[in-house]
Amino acid sequence: MRVLLGSNLLCWAIFVEAATLVVNIEIKAHLFYPAEVIVPANTKVKLLIHNMDSSPEEFESYELNREKVILGNSKAVVFIGPLAPGEYPFFGEFNMTTALGKVIVN
Amino acid sequence: MLLDAVIIVLRETLEAGVLVSVLLTVGNRYKLGLRWLAWAFSGGMVGAIIYAGNMGLVSHWFDYVGQEVVNAIIQYSIYLSLLLICLFVASIPRISSRALIYLLTLTVALALIREATEIIIFYSGFIGNSAVFSKAATSGFIGLMLGLSVGALCYFSIMSLKPRHVKPVQIGVLALVGAGMVAQATQLLIQADWLPSVAPLWDTREILPEASMPGQLAYAIFGYEATPTPLEAGLFLGALACTPLLIALSRFISGKTLIEARTQ
Repeated sequence: MRVLLGSNLLCWAIFVEAATLVVNIEIKAHLFYPAEVIVPANTKVKLLIHNMDSSPEEFESYELNREKVILGNSKAVVFIGPLAPGEYPFFGEFNMTTALGKVIVN
Repeated sequence: MLLDAVIIVLRETLEAGVLVSVLLTVGNRYKLGLRWLAWAFSGGMVGAIIYAGNMGLVSHWFDYVGQEVVNAIIQYSIYLSLLLICLFVASIPRISSRALIYLLTLTVALALIREATEIIIFYSGFIGNSAVFSKAATSGFIGLMLGLSVGALCYFSIMSLKPRHVKPVQIGVLALVGAGMVAQATQLLIQADWLPSVAPLWDTREILPEASMPGQLAYAIFGYEATPTPLEAGLFLGALACTPLLIALSRFISGKTLIEARTQ
């Protein structure tokens, strides 16, 4: 019974992980790569952001209602969505003149 | 001048400044002196330095959403403290002055930890580059002064009110700030995928953009968000309603009337 329950939980965990779309974004020299991220509408998305710079950055978006500090040479996870079709700009608050990007929802 | 530094320090100072200024009027009303504020600032700054120094570790917790969870806990804690302070301000006799001092100190320290941590991390990026650090520090000082000016304006606005208006304004502003903390904390848990994310209830970006100065001020006062989810809006209203409901309940239990015998 315990084995059965455990395997069910494992299947559930894999299903949840598989259901969440993961998008990788890199920060290099205070720029986002890619600067434009295209994701499907009405879908939860896990943004996996790697800050390759040695200095910290803050991922921020008023349109997405997201804000997160990412230390230098580290990674962070930010969940977004489900979103309606449209464009959702984001920026690096610590370098807001250069670190600019947007999520495009189709 | 580094515009980024001005904006970051201004935003964080604004958020903490409004809250601290109202709490200062509470301390002033009960003649608590300023020693509690010194303790709160010392504790808050030490806490912020420790938190910033361990941000890498914290960020890895709970599958990389530890930062959201810890910040949400801090903000829910501030809300609970503010709720108790509101009860005190409303003259509930069961809380002693000493308890009020502890609550004020704790609230300001938590607010400082929340806001100063980001500033410390921002400036840590300039370590080793003294020229840029110096420029960022000067710019940050401008942001600090602007934020403190708004806090001072808030403080003197309340202090200049007629005595009978002071208490309702204090309770009203603290209840709004507290409810805003709940909304922000809820948003963080949605960001961490600990709470469900659904389509926003409304969109007021055209009327009041979050990035604008009035939008930032509204964010500092009641956690304004142009596109809140139903959960955020519901918890905001619930948290806001808790203050008058608990005050009414406490008065009912203690048999007190609305006209209090305290310092006015």
